[in-house]
Amino acid sequence: MGLPQGTTMAIKTILIVEDDRFIGEMYVRSLKKNGYEVDWMVDGNDGLIAARNKAYDLLLLDVMLPERRGNDILDALRGGTEDLIPHTKVVILTNFEQDDESRMAMEKNADGYLIKAEITPSKLLAVIKQLDETS
Amino acid sequence: MAVAKPQKFAKDFWPHFNRVIGTAIVLSQLLILVIIAFILFLFGFIDSHPWAFVGILSAQAILGIITSAIIHRIAVRPIKDMLSAVVHVSGELTASTPPNPNDGRYAKNGFKDVLQTIYELASNNDKAPATIISSAPAVETSVTAPTPVALTKPATTFLESALNETSCGFVIMDQSRQITFSNNAAPINIGTDGVASLSLIFNGQETLDAWLDDCERNAVHAERTWSRIPNKLPEEEDRRFFDIIASYDKGAESEVVITLIDRTKLYAIGEEELDFIAFAAHELRGPITVIRGYLDVLEDELKDVLKDDQHELFHRLTVSANRLSGYINNILNTSRYDRRHLKMHLAETTINDVYDTIRDDMNLRANAQNRLLAINIPTDLPTIAGDPASLSEVFGNLIDNAIKYSNEGGSINVSAGIKGDMIEVLIEDHGIGMPASVIGNLFQKFYRSHRSRETVAGTGIGLYISKAIVESHGGNISVRSEDGHGSTFIVSLPTFASVADKLKAGNNSNEGLIDQGSGWIKNHSMYRG
Repeated sequence: MGLPQGTTMAIKTILIVEDDRFIGEMYVRSLKKNGYEVDWMVDGNDGLIAARNKAYDLLLLDVMLPERRGNDILDALRGGTEDLIPHTKVVILTNFEQDDESRMAMEKNADGYLIKAEITPSKLLAVIKQLDETS
Repeated sequence: MAVAKPQKFAKDFWPHFNRVIGTAIVLSQLLILVIIAFILFLFGFIDSHPWAFVGILSAQAILGIITSAIIHRIAVRPIKDMLSAVVHVSGELTASTPPNPNDGRYAKNGFKDVLQTIYELASNNDKAPATIISSAPAVETSVTAPTPVALTKPATTFLESALNETSCGFVIMDQSRQITFSNNAAPINIGTDGVASLSLIFNGQETLDAWLDDCERNAVHAERTWSRIPNKLPEEEDRRFFDIIASYDKGAESEVVITLIDRTKLYAIGEEELDFIAFAAHELRGPITVIRGYLDVLEDELKDVLKDDQHELFHRLTVSANRLSGYINNILNTSRYDRRHLKMHLAETTINDVYDTIRDDMNLRANAQNRLLAINIPTDLPTIAGDPASLSEVFGNLIDNAIKYSNEGGSINVSAGIKGDMIEVLIEDHGIGMPASVIGNLFQKFYRSHRSRETVAGTGIGLYISKAIVESHGGNISVRSEDGHGSTFIVSLPTFASVADKLKAGNNSNEGLIDQGSGWIKNHSMYRG
């Protein structure tokens, strides 16, 4: 991915930006139970601020968000000349069917792109472990 | 018929008409002279003034001839020109020049419009007179010199303007597949190089060009029809749908004739329905995420509390939620495929890796419905070029079918092997099977056999979309079945090695498109859940 290779450190801190309360709570509950430190933001602006204020190991990003959409957040963080979150892995989690161009644009700056309906919390845990192994 | 009678020409009418008028004038003048002479005779004028008598008659004769000649000239000239114009537009051989409607006199007295009307009618109707030319020399070869007359307009204009009146598209191509004719309704695209081409999107079907390639190799006369072919992508302006009939006639001047019947009104409704389905499916995904997610969380958190049969109930919930999710994916993918939006994100993978993503789900499903699911996929099979998410949907659909169409306690075997450049995956059940008459229609959209319609729930799109996905991989899907004894579905997928070159050609930026004949393949190296 052309990201700076840091020391192989396991993912520990996670930021979730997700506006659906049921889904957000579900991920928080499951991730916390499995030992991760989790912050959860509901709207896009708060999500962007949180991501810039703290160096999370992983960002789980929804696309359809109030205030600021996921693709705009990703653009603000990684679209410019400087990568503002060089030590953070990004996984897009969405149920929204994007057209291919927008999807490709997001994937370029992300480490994964998952359809929420296909990902149960335990599968998400497996994906996070896999991200750990590939880093 | 025509041979018995000499051929009649429009130009022959003029001398005849002229003779009749001339005779009538001479006779009428003679009659006037005779009457005047008789009256003068009655009054005795002839005896008293013989010279005056001769003078009156002479004056009358001269005046009569002059006035008649002038009136004749004025009255007959338009008729002569009209006839002359008709002779010319009819294509008869003639030495005269066609009358010019722009003559100053005609412009003044309004006859210009009459001539123009004749010429316009003729230009719209050139086809019919053309047959007169061809028949005339055949009958009177000795009389008419068979030198063809240059017509004022090309003979095609009549057909052309007629074809432009219809909403059907007509396109004619020559032997080098250049478009030599197209009417207004035909979906024609003029490229930057000025070359006209047909703008049609053969969504996964055999394209016109592919069919013509095939015709050139194998056919003399051939015809093929397509239905529901759009000329543009969804959301583009002026999108139309056609049913298409193409005829191929090797070596003919019009080698390819394409008729395009505009069915936009009929099919556009279906398009809106598809949009609605896609929209509805998206909305369904939200609650499904929650149901599957919380079942997953709860099952984990309650695993020590639940009793055995309660575990089983949980499994049933999970299995049903997963199946629902699978059906929604089928609907979404079908909608995408029908709108040409289904793209494969191909990466090097193995059948085992693909199956791993659904292994637990399938085991759970088979257990919950009391089927014995045996998986036998060798680990040393060559890799394939596959889109794991889409392929797992295919295998999920086929195993789901095998469960649905087999009996309680029945066994389902999934095995794989290599055959040439292809990896074959077999999904075999020992269920109700199907008669040969059903197999032909099996992969059609919304097809359900009469029997299964009554006994087994289903939408009839699982196999349709599975076929689309497999073919988009450059593979194929087939079935063997024996009524009452079970069915075996066979999915063949090309090995990665056999398509690696093609994939690399488009591998630079995740954007490379590889046309695989029946689909669009998009290479993609990223992880996808």
